[in-house]
Amino acid sequence: MTIGFENRTVRVVIGFLTAAALVVVYLPPLYLVGVSFNPALQPALPSLGDISVKWYVELANERGLLAALRESLLIATATTVISVSVALAAALAYLELGKLRNAWFLLVLMPMFVPGLIQGLALSVILNRWQVVPFWGTVAMGHLLWALPFAFTVILTSMVSVRRSYLLAAADLGASWWQRVTQIILPLIIPGIVGGVIFSFLLSLNEFARSSYLVGRQNTLPLVLFGKMNSGASPTIYALSGLILMASVLAVALFMYLSARRKRA
Amino acid sequence: MFLIRRGLALSLPGFLLILLLGAVPLTVILVWSFWTWDPATYWIKPNLSLDAYAAIGDAGRWSVIVGSFGKAFLAALLCLLVGYPSALAIHFVASPRWSFVLMAAFTIPFFTSYLIRAFSWRLVLGRTGMVNNFLMQIGLIDEPLDWLLFSDFAVMVGLIASYLPFVIFPLLLSLRKVEPNFLAASQDLGAGFLRTLFTIIIPLTKPGIFAGFLFVFIMAAGSSTEVQMLGGAGAPMISIMINDVMRVVNFPLAFAISAVVIVALFTIVLAGNRVFGLTKMFEDFK
Repeated sequence: MTIGFENRTVRVVIGFLTAAALVVVYLPPLYLVGVSFNPALQPALPSLGDISVKWYVELANERGLLAALRESLLIATATTVISVSVALAAALAYLELGKLRNAWFLLVLMPMFVPGLIQGLALSVILNRWQVVPFWGTVAMGHLLWALPFAFTVILTSMVSVRRSYLLAAADLGASWWQRVTQIILPLIIPGIVGGVIFSFLLSLNEFARSSYLVGRQNTLPLVLFGKMNSGASPTIYALSGLILMASVLAVALFMYLSARRKRA
Repeated sequence: MFLIRRGLALSLPGFLLILLLGAVPLTVILVWSFWTWDPATYWIKPNLSLDAYAAIGDAGRWSVIVGSFGKAFLAALLCLLVGYPSALAIHFVASPRWSFVLMAAFTIPFFTSYLIRAFSWRLVLGRTGMVNNFLMQIGLIDEPLDWLLFSDFAVMVGLIASYLPFVIFPLLLSLRKVEPNFLAASQDLGAGFLRTLFTIIIPLTKPGIFAGFLFVFIMAAGSSTEVQMLGGAGAPMISIMINDVMRVVNFPLAFAISAVVIVALFTIVLAGNRVFGLTKMFEDFK
């Protein structure tokens, strides 16, 4: 598949532009991770001899951050459980819906196109009118709509490995719908479900815009981070940001690696 | 074997979720945007009026909305320019192993914190940041550049970095549908690379180009993280304006601005779907 692309100049130019795109995406976060290992107060890259985990150790004393982290983890867990279950049902529905499937696909994707701030505002106003006091659950409600389209798309993508002929053969042999789902579809789409779990969790954990109008007394981690970032607070902020970045990158990279290996096997 | 009835039953939880958490609140604020502000109750009363929409005309709010859409348009265009070569590299140039690595590299940022990534640009673009330090060290400038951060420039850079993955994936989906034979034929007939690119590859990937453009445009138009982290005081975007209006609890005005934005975005998505068939990009399933 290299027709027209064997030309050396073409390859070099495309390669260079791709590298430039990756630099735009990766340089700032990498720089931040580098800065987080600098024991000095001024944000700059540490010299090699100075590398220290001082700010990471000090994180343990940041009660406010830890409380916010707990809140965010709770919200992310609730969001993940519900969004993946609903997305799984939605993806199974896609298989059955025949001509309606395109409309269904578009409907599930629609919440993705609502600006987060507006979605959060609308939901909070309604909940307020219904006398619902904001708590972690209201934030999870806002996050659900953001996580669902992604979980749905990941699970749907993994359903490519479910051939229609498998399902037809199983049906011919007398398997009920429930048997076809549990014994054929589910085992084949496990990577999609795992992907849905990881993505939903991270999307909720990192969500900022949808949370601001929906939080109760305990702020979520991104909201606390936002406040600290704007008040010129201590470099622990770099450490925590670095930690979250590294954990997210590891989780997604591990998932992609494992699912690629599974595909090859 | 496939039953519409079962499909409808399975779609019920998702349908209810989208209806109750998404559609109903948005419809309600659309309706409430026509009500009037009642100072006695700090809430709104059902006096139908267009006051809130008239108020969008005050204080240059229209220009903020139009300006935000303009910036989103530019961000989407730039993302396409930056992302297209990367998509070509992943699909045509890289070996299978490298193509996987590159795809992973463009997927991963998608799931990391937008807030932290926007914040990290502050370290790079700030007065004592990486770029200014570097430019001063090589002697290109004597004073740090001020316009790098808290400016439209910084917002644009932040938007591009944040939403670049959104163009790569639609582009890849449509590149996969380009028949390699067409490229071979074009080469046989003596067309050079650029000619093949502009007369064959780009026209055949229009749906992907449009979908990628649309994703970035919509995300950028409604973005709040990048704007709040990197933007200057001079030129606010929609999200900042809504926050400001909400600070003085002017509900109808906030609702009216939201309604205008949502209606505009949904019109663009649905019209785009009609013209370019966004759902068709996923039709490889059976």
